[in-house]
Amino acid sequence: MAKLQKSQQQRSVFVEPVYSSAVALLIVLLACVELGDAVTVVDVYRLVQYDLGGVPLGSRLAALNHHAGSSLFSSSAGVVADLSRTVLILPVRELNLTFIREYIGQSKPLGGLLLLLPPIFSPEHTDSGGGVDDDSAKVLLKEVLVEVERLLIHANIPYPVYFGFEDEHINAMLADIKKNDASGQPATATTGGYKLVVAAPQPRKIVSPTIVNIQGWLPGLKADGDSNQLPTIAIVASYDTFGAAPALSVGSDSNGSGVVALLEIARLFSILYSNPKTRGRYNLLFLLTSGGPYNYNGTQKWLHSVDQRLRETIDYAICLNSIGSSSNELWLHVSKPPDNAYIKQMFEDFSSVSEELGLKVGLKHKKINISNSRVAWEHEQFSRVRVTAATLSELSVAPEFLESTGGLSDNRNFVNEASISRSVKLVAESLARQIYGQQGKNIEIFADDSSLSVNPSYMRSWLEFLSTTPRVAPFLAKNDPLIMALKKELADHTVEVNVQQEPLDGMFTFYDSTSGKLHIYQVASVTFDLLLLLLLGSYLITLFSFLVIITRGLDDLISLFRRPTSRKVKTP
Amino acid sequence: MTIFHFFNCAILTFGPHAVYYSATPLSEYDTIGTSVKTAVVYLVTALVKLVCLATFLKVSESDSFDPYQELLKALIGFVDVAGLYFALTRLTHRNISQNHKFQAVGLGWAFADSVLHRLAPLWVGARGLEFTWDYILQGLEANANLVLSISLAALGSLMWLRKNKPKTLIPIIYTCAGIVATMPSITSYLKLSLGWQLPKVVGFELFTSLVMAFISWQLFAACQKPSN
Repeated sequence: MAKLQKSQQQRSVFVEPVYSSAVALLIVLLACVELGDAVTVVDVYRLVQYDLGGVPLGSRLAALNHHAGSSLFSSSAGVVADLSRTVLILPVRELNLTFIREYIGQSKPLGGLLLLLPPIFSPEHTDSGGGVDDDSAKVLLKEVLVEVERLLIHANIPYPVYFGFEDEHINAMLADIKKNDASGQPATATTGGYKLVVAAPQPRKIVSPTIVNIQGWLPGLKADGDSNQLPTIAIVASYDTFGAAPALSVGSDSNGSGVVALLEIARLFSILYSNPKTRGRYNLLFLLTSGGPYNYNGTQKWLHSVDQRLRETIDYAICLNSIGSSSNELWLHVSKPPDNAYIKQMFEDFSSVSEELGLKVGLKHKKINISNSRVAWEHEQFSRVRVTAATLSELSVAPEFLESTGGLSDNRNFVNEASISRSVKLVAESLARQIYGQQGKNIEIFADDSSLSVNPSYMRSWLEFLSTTPRVAPFLAKNDPLIMALKKELADHTVEVNVQQEPLDGMFTFYDSTSGKLHIYQVASVTFDLLLLLLLGSYLITLFSFLVIITRGLDDLISLFRRPTSRKVKTP
Repeated sequence: MTIFHFFNCAILTFGPHAVYYSATPLSEYDTIGTSVKTAVVYLVTALVKLVCLATFLKVSESDSFDPYQELLKALIGFVDVAGLYFALTRLTHRNISQNHKFQAVGLGWAFADSVLHRLAPLWVGARGLEFTWDYILQGLEANANLVLSISLAALGSLMWLRKNKPKTLIPIIYTCAGIVATMPSITSYLKLSLGWQLPKVVGFELFTSLVMAFISWQLFAACQKPSN
C-alpha cells in the first residue's frame, strides 16, 4: 500500500514536465514547417531544343528535380547566391530584362528556369480578339516576350527551361516562396520549401523530320482549238510556325492569317470557276508550304520538284505573310526592280483596289544576295528560280532568322479579323481584275452582301482552329490531322490536290519532349526529420523509464544501468 | 529523406508497444504467447465486423452523422468487446497472474489494431516527397489506442475474471467499460457532426485515453485491496 502511494506520487511528478516539454517541442516543430497542401500538378511547356548546323541551341535538358526559388533569392543581401540547385520561377509580367540577359548571356549556372506567362497568352484563353483594352500594357508585355524569346532561342542553355501559365495555385506558391526568400532563408535540403519535379526522359532527336507542302489546282478555261498553255497565278502561304515553346507556337498572325486568307480566296475563286461562264483564262495554284521559318525550305523544295513546264507558265506568285494586325498599312515586298512589267502591273492593281478599301499599300524592293543562304521572304525563293513573285505583309522590314515566325506572343488575342478580311478582299479583287481583264474599271466583284462576299465566320472558324493548334513542322507527322484538314479543305475548293512530303533541311535537328507535367511538392527539411527523431527517441525512453518505475520500481531502473557491477557483487 | 519520415512515423506508431512489452514485467514472464493469440483473435473479430458492416450498413452519400447508422456501427463495435471477452476468458494462458494477463491481452489487441489499420497507409503514403502531418497524427492515435486497449482489457478482466468485487464499484466499472468500448463512435461523431479537424480529434483521444487509464488504474487498485 505504501509502495502504491509512493509510485502514484512519483508518477504525478513525472507526468507534468513530460507533458509540457512535449507540447513546447510540438509548437516549435509547427513553427518550422507549415501545414502542407496536396501535390499540385501543372502543365508546362519546354523550351525548344535544336541543333543548327551542329551547334547545340535551346534548353538541353528536360528532367527537373530541384528546389524552387524566386527572383528575390538571387538578390538577397547583395551576395551572389549559388543557384545551380535551384529552379528560378520568374513571372514574365515582372521580369527584369537585364537580369535575364546577364544570366543567359554569361551562362551562369542554374538548376532550372520556369517562366510564368499571363493567362492571356494561353491558347485556350478565349477572350475577345483584337486587342482593344489596356493596349499599352499588352504591347509592352509582347515586346518583353519577344525579347526573352530571342535570347532563349539563340543561346545554348544547359538546364531545363519551362513555360507555364499563372493560376491561383502557382501564384500562392510563388508568394510563399518570395516570403521565405525575403527573410533570407535559402531553400535547400535542410530548410524545407517547395520542390519542383518534372519527370521526363532524356530528349531524343527527331529522326528524319518531314515538311509537307499541299497544293491545290484550279484550271482555267481553255478556248477550243487553243493549244497553248494557260498562264498560271500562284497564291502561296506557309502554314508552319516556330517559337520558343513548340507546344505553344500557334502563330495566329504568323502565319495563321496567311493560311486563313489563302483558304478564303480559294473558296471565292472556286465559286467563280465552278461555272464555265465565269471561269477565267488563268489557272490558279494555291500552295500551302511548310518549312517557312527555316529559310522557306518547303517552297524551295517544291520549286525544284515541280514540273519545269508548269513553272514556266507561272506569271507571278503572291505570297501572304502576316496580314492580321490592326494597322491600315500593308507592304508589297519584291526582289525584282519595281520597273519590271509584271511588278508594275501587280502594284498598280493593288494600289487601285486598296484605295477603294481604305488601305495603304507600299512597295519595298530588297535585292537578293544569291551567295547568302538566308531567305527572308517567301517570294525570294521564287525569284531565285526566275519566277516573278511578291510578298504581301504588314511587316515593313524583313524579319530576322527565326523571328516573327509565330512565337509565344503571337496568339488569337492579337489578331484582328477585320484586317484579314480586308486583305482577302484586296488580293481577290486585284487578282480578279487581272484575270477577267477589268483593270481600271470601277467594278467590285466580291462586293459585300453578294453571293461572293468575303465570309467572316468561315475565316473566324479557321483562325480559331489554327490558333489552338501548334504547328512546328518537325513535330507534325506525315498524316497529322492538321495536314489532313488543310488537304481536305483545299480539295473542297480546288479540282486537284497534291501533297508533297520532303525531308527537312539537314542543317536543322530537333529534339522531342516539348511539354510535361510539373509536380510541386511541399517538403520538410532534414532538420525537421532529425528533430522529430530526437523527440520520438526521448519520448520512447521516457515511456520506458516511466513504465519500469511504475511496474518494477525505481530500483529496477537504476539496476538496469548497474548490471555489470552487480555481477561482481554476486560472486562470493 | 522520406524513408526517414516513414521510419519516424513507424517508430511512433509501433515503438510504444515494444517499449511497453520490454519495460514492464511482461518480458520477464514471457507473455508473448498470450499477445500473439490475442492478435489472432483480433484479426478474426475484425473479419466478423467487416462482414456485419458490409451486410447491414448502407453506404451513405453525404458525410453527415446519421444516428441510425452510427448506432448500428456501435452495436457492431460490441463485437470487439465479445472478442476481448473471448481472449481474456476462453483462451488458455500459461500460468500468469491476472495483473499481467490483461496487460498482455491489451498489448496484443492494440498491436494487431495498429498493424491492420495503420501499417498500409504508412507504407504507401509516408514515403512520398510531399510532407503532411497526417502520419504523425496517426501515430499519436495509435498511442492513444494502446492506452485505451489496455484500460479496456483491465476493466474487462475486472468484470469477468475477478469474482469478489466491492459492490459500490460495479456500476462504475461497467460505465467506464461502456465509454471505452464506444470510443470509436464518439470520435466519428466528433469528426462528422461537429466537424473537428484531425489534430483536435487526436488530442481528444489522447486526453480521454489518459483519463480512462487513470480511472481504470484506480478501479483496479481498489478491487485489489481485499485480496491484499
